[in-house]
Amino acid sequence: MTALALRHEGPGTVAVPGPRRRAIGLVVALVALLALLVLSVMIGSTAIPPSVVWNALFHPAADIDQFAIRDYRLPRTVAGLVVGVALGLSGALIQALTRNPLADPGILGLHAGSSFAVTVAVGVLGVRDIGGYMWFAFAGALVVTLMVLAIGSTRQGRSPVVMVLAGVCVGAVLQGAGSALELTNPDAFDVMRSWNAGSIVGRPLDLVWPIVPFLAVALVLAFVVSGPLNAMALGDELAVAQGVRLVRTRVLAIIALTLLAGGATAIAGPISFVGLMVPHVARWLVGPHQRWIFAYSVLLAPSLLLASDILGRFVMRPSEIPVGVVTAFVGAPVLIALVRRTRASGL
Amino acid sequence: MTKTPLGRRRAALTATLLGASLVLTACGGTPEETPTGDTGATSETRTVQADNGSVDVPADPQRVVSIGNTTLPFIDMGGAPVGVTEVGASELALVPEEQQATFEAATILGSSGDQVDMEQLAGLEPDLILAQFPESEFESVKEQLESIAPTVFWDLDVEWKALADGVAEAGNVADGLTAQKAEFEEKISGIQDTYGAIIDDTSFVNLDRWDSSDPGTFSVADFGCVEIAQDDIGMDFPRAADGEDPLGWTSLPFEQLAELSTYDVITYPVDAEGHPTAAFAPVVESNTWQALPAVSSGRALGLFCPGNNSYGPVLQYLDSLDAALAALPAKE
Repeated sequence: MTALALRHEGPGTVAVPGPRRRAIGLVVALVALLALLVLSVMIGSTAIPPSVVWNALFHPAADIDQFAIRDYRLPRTVAGLVVGVALGLSGALIQALTRNPLADPGILGLHAGSSFAVTVAVGVLGVRDIGGYMWFAFAGALVVTLMVLAIGSTRQGRSPVVMVLAGVCVGAVLQGAGSALELTNPDAFDVMRSWNAGSIVGRPLDLVWPIVPFLAVALVLAFVVSGPLNAMALGDELAVAQGVRLVRTRVLAIIALTLLAGGATAIAGPISFVGLMVPHVARWLVGPHQRWIFAYSVLLAPSLLLASDILGRFVMRPSEIPVGVVTAFVGAPVLIALVRRTRASGL
Repeated sequence: MTKTPLGRRRAALTATLLGASLVLTACGGTPEETPTGDTGATSETRTVQADNGSVDVPADPQRVVSIGNTTLPFIDMGGAPVGVTEVGASELALVPEEQQATFEAATILGSSGDQVDMEQLAGLEPDLILAQFPESEFESVKEQLESIAPTVFWDLDVEWKALADGVAEAGNVADGLTAQKAEFEEKISGIQDTYGAIIDDTSFVNLDRWDSSDPGTFSVADFGCVEIAQDDIGMDFPRAADGEDPLGWTSLPFEQLAELSTYDVITYPVDAEGHPTAAFAPVVESNTWQALPAVSSGRALGLFCPGNNSYGPVLQYLDSLDAALAALPAKE
């Protein structure tokens, strides 16, 4: 989801909790995430006793129920964790970079770039396996970011506003081109129908692991730029006065959020609301401190994703609802409630 | 279907133009009530019943256009359409080579029933149009089609044997159908007689997966060739309750493969060489599949189903089923 909004409230409008409360909140978020990780492995559309789950993980044997745990639930849980972390952090980065509390990575055209690349891979090149077209999704996100960076570079440097506008434009063009290709190619239409829903089902670990190093690099970059982004929230002139190198910070932030959002989209397809809502909630909890927002987003986003995925396993049993659909259903009302609060979390 | 005044005017204009083009074509070529083409066919007609009512069709149509799902059945019964809509490459690859050649000799008129190039269709001067595609799409092109040639239409819910009968009658290819029907009855009886004990005493489940299936999911399919095994032979496959959506419409996560342990025999789709279809291969390669009792005991049967809307491909399915049942190990 992409959204632009004027910033109505600035720093100082939110009651900022002290470091102790932030730390306690972080521990609570960590415990909640660990609990959801356990539940995600324990609970599924097939009833499997906890003892079998335990044995599947710690005393593996060639048992049909153990296979269900190791081959499906565990990879699904890992995918949920990885995708959640990536989406949450990329959302926090784009909101800090654009100083827009309602921005998400799609605003730079990443989702459109990934979708278009997958459509081309399936419709033109005949790639059918997710292990093949997920790399096209990743590459699509990277290429679109380079395009946006190039288009958004002006003589005055790289302005976030110009980059966002470039992202919206490039995204719109690619979305149109992708739709045209889908409508004339039934195979591409079928795959995109499924891929666009956003799912972490059927993603074995050997598909997820190759993406993880990119996400790890991005994670480090994100925390490196968190300090400068804090300063930039006060305005470019003040940030420069504090020694922040604006262009370097913006480029590093864009590289990080591209790797994060591109990696997450490659694994799961476009998932809305997580990257938008979680940083918003984090900011509401800890105030406008990027490092804390990033840390909370890293824990809360996978929690939301895993909780939504677990819910999606039961709502339409024996079938399942893709996690992207559930996050939209859960996320939309929560976000509406948040933005209607009188003390909405500004940047 | 309700049309706006503008829509009615457009439809009327299109019909008028097409009609005019036909009149002009007729003026420059074959007059009515005379033999058509080089085959000596006459204008003698007969009436056939279809989902669009009673239709007067030529007794011996010479220039047949087929739109949608009637194409392969018509060719399978010996017909040679002059115009067709597209058939998927994977579907076409399953029919015999001579039938592929017949299909490729026809003019492609569009990708689907509602995407037909009407000008190109009129230019083919068909004397009969056979069509099966969604009725909602047919409503939008009905007037145009019927202004070009007698049009015999079936909705998608027509049973395959009724469709074969209808296509054979309207397209005047009943001779081919009669031979196929006789062979079908013979094979059905043969399977029932040979494997009666297995059929009575075995619980089957038919699985499938398509290119459009979500990653990590499969379906318990209760439509397609399995309907023949179920309805004509009497094999015990799970099916949806009356009034419910087909089971095959529900995507199940691979995790639920483990729940298939209760069935004696699992059937799954294979290609002409007997290998699991590309879409189904991820299921067969999974550890859960390998651990299923039916699979480990050799009671998972790969069946080749090249199609289930005409007798030719159904006969191939029955051959595959016959061979699979012959190799089925006894229950332990």
